Amino acid sequence: MNNPELESILKRARLPEIPGESLDMFPRRVVARIKRNDPLARPQRSFSPHLAWALGLAACVAIAFAIGHWRGRMETGTTPATDSLASATFIRETLAMFPNRVRAIMQDERGINLVLSDNDDVPASTPIYARIYDGKHALSFVTFSGQEIQVAGQTVTVLANPRGGIILTGNQFLWSNTGRDYVDNHWKIEARSLNSIAL
Amino acid sequence: MAGSDDESKLIDQSLSGDPEAYAALVNQHQKMIRAMTFRMTGSPDDAEELAQDTFLRAYRQLGSFGGGSKFSTWLCKIAINLSLDWRRRESRRDDIHSKWAADVVSGNSSDDGFPDELSRRVQDALNKLPAKQRAAIVLTIYENQSHAEAAKTLDCTEATISWRVFAARQKLKRLLKDLPHEQP
Repeated sequence: MNNPELESILKRARLPEIPGESLDMFPRRVVARIKRNDPLARPQRSFSPHLAWALGLAACVAIAFAIGHWRGRMETGTTPATDSLASATFIRETLAMFPNRVRAIMQDERGINLVLSDNDDVPASTPIYARIYDGKHALSFVTFSGQEIQVAGQTVTVLANPRGGIILTGNQFLWSNTGRDYVDNHWKIEARSLNSIAL
Repeated sequence: MAGSDDESKLIDQSLSGDPEAYAALVNQHQKMIRAMTFRMTGSPDDAEELAQDTFLRAYRQLGSFGGGSKFSTWLCKIAINLSLDWRRRESRRDDIHSKWAADVVSGNSSDDGFPDELSRRVQDALNKLPAKQRAAIVLTIYENQSHAEAAKTLDCTEATISWRVFAARQKLKRLLKDLPHEQP
């Protein structure tokens, strides 16, 4: 049996007929359940148009301010000029805003993405900066030893020791900042401890 | 994309708290949703309950329906995900209960309302698939969704859908190999 033949069999299969009475009653049953669960229930509109415009405008102003702020700081950084994670202040303030909840601050071409834990269970330790370039796209992130980061569909585990040694392991590679790539997947990786903003 | 003008009007009226408008929306889409929940559960009672749950949840979340997709597609996403949750709950049943339920189902098989043997055999085969593979078949075969659309519905990658469809087809071919098939 080939795929079209199987599909033909599946499509020929019909369902038991629903009695007309059941079809008539069904909408009423749904509405009765809505009223029974909460007689005052109303489906909520997500935003009023005025509120949405106001929030949108405020978000644009905040983003423009943040980009200007970070660009100013990046000029003195050692990482590429497009890398907002070069700002120690930005990282420090972000970590302070969500104590023990920041698993990673990630940045790619689309912008910055904050990865938070549901609970405040991320151990305080020296943040680690890493940048991965796969030949087409660059991803920078600040994270902590023991965290797992999703990179191009791979789970990358970041580990560090107190002497500044950093290891990144993925499904198909193991990289360390000692200069030894045990299994190379052709990614260009750099990583370092951010001792200046150690927690 | 949101559907017909009438449908948009009914959605607006429902958002204003008009239950009759929502009943009309339910009436328009109930066959599609009940067919989907039946394919996922294999049981008319569970299918009806899940279909009701689908419309209840849709009502509560109606404000978040932005019209970026068809209303039917949005409902379909709620229904399939509720069905998968239902399967997870079902799978936690203890063995004795499951066996008892299976005996009851098989005992009633001669009076289960299917119009013909082929239809019953197909549903039996669907019931034997893992829930996520069944969902992939229901969406791609019965709802005519592309793999990309099914991936959005199930919040997974297109490759995952392709794999689930492939695995499901292999099992279904084995289970249904003795059925007469026509050249499509």
